[in-house]
Amino acid sequence: MTFDPNTTESVAAGQPVARDGPNVQAFIARHRPSFVLAGVLVAQLLLLSLQITRNHDVRLIRVWAVDVVDPFQRSMHGLTDLSVGAWRTYRNLSHAQQENQQLRVQLASAESQILQFSEQAAESGRLRAVLDFKNQLPFQTVAAEVIASSPGENSNAVFIDKGVDAGLTSDLAVITPEGVVGKTIAVFPRSSQVLLLTDPSSGVGVMLEKTRVQGVLKGDSQNLCLIRYIMNEEPVTFGETVLTSGLDQIYPKGLRVGVVVQTSAGGIYKNVEVKPAVDLSRLETVLVVLKPNSTQQQASNGRP
Amino acid sequence: MPVTPEREVEAFRVHYATLAVSVLAALLLQTVLPVVIPVAGLMDFSLLVTVYFTLIRQNQIFGIALGSILGLLQDALSHGYLGMFGMAKAVVGYLAATAAMRFNFETLFARCVATASLVVIHDLCMTALQHVLLESPPPFVPLDRASSVLVNVALSLIFFPILDRFR
Repeated sequence: MTFDPNTTESVAAGQPVARDGPNVQAFIARHRPSFVLAGVLVAQLLLLSLQITRNHDVRLIRVWAVDVVDPFQRSMHGLTDLSVGAWRTYRNLSHAQQENQQLRVQLASAESQILQFSEQAAESGRLRAVLDFKNQLPFQTVAAEVIASSPGENSNAVFIDKGVDAGLTSDLAVITPEGVVGKTIAVFPRSSQVLLLTDPSSGVGVMLEKTRVQGVLKGDSQNLCLIRYIMNEEPVTFGETVLTSGLDQIYPKGLRVGVVVQTSAGGIYKNVEVKPAVDLSRLETVLVVLKPNSTQQQASNGRP
Repeated sequence: MPVTPEREVEAFRVHYATLAVSVLAALLLQTVLPVVIPVAGLMDFSLLVTVYFTLIRQNQIFGIALGSILGLLQDALSHGYLGMFGMAKAVVGYLAATAAMRFNFETLFARCVATASLVVIHDLCMTALQHVLLESPPPFVPLDRASSVLVNVALSLIFFPILDRFR
């Protein structure tokens, strides 16, 4: 053995000094007394734990063992609960999503039904109004539904679902409880074409309600009507009601046509603009006024 | 480069018979004397034997073993739990040997200081163990602990020179 002045350890001759990293065995050998002390203390501590009791004769070693394992048990339990909870939450969310979709479908169906019922109720109300109006009229009428409108911007005509089979002919007045709509211009076996009074080619014999001034109502391409042949001297007031005069042998007398919205003096005749009483853009159910010979033809066909 | 000489430490060997007799005598004195002399309850002969033989042997493992054995024997003869004195005296034996490896305890003063310190450490270990492990630890009375230190230091002054004749 030689003594190396640069180290505090004795080094065997020819044996290299180990300088690579900590050696566990050398560490234990250097601190053997400390490890022995620790071992002795632990052994006697275990011996004590087997003797000493706590908490109603529970041995201390059991208490320590439970204290050591308890945190891990709680952690595992917590982890398990978390996992189970997460899975249950996911499953509940999945069920909730399915249920949500089903409820959405049901809601859409219910809303559709509600809308349908509302429409039916509204239609029922309209039809009742038409029926009541029809019963009040002193002439025969046929109720019809507007099924289509004529194509084209300047064409103010609609189709109704009654035709020859219902006893209709051309030049029959078409009205609603609000007022005059127009007249039939073409009749087909099961439908008819109705010319609206706002069409420039239509003409209705009218008179003012108060002054009883008569004129001819012609359609305007801008959904208004003009009364022709009223002299400038004739009094016409704004908001005055315009009625049918009955002189055209088509429209019965006294039917509401519209109201005066503008009046101005012209060359000889006044320029009187009339807004129709009926909203011609929202026609649904109309009444066709039958002429007496039409009534007879309808009776022979066996239709009401 | 000159070599710094390490401090020469004298370690003594003791006959095992001397050790065994000392251990037995300590246990007997500790169990018999308190019946006759009440103040003998403060005397810890086992501790003194542990301290003495560890100081002269200067071996930590020896100190741990001697302290554990004496402590366990003391526990066995008392009504307490096995291991209380064993642990405290094992610590005392380790510390005594560690100190003896670095300092010279051949003088009277050094031995008194060592004995006093180790008695205090022993009492602190016992108090700590009792408070940690027992549900109802005995009260800590500083006056009793101080008296114990003084009594055991006085005993060491008597018994250590006697034991020196046998090393």
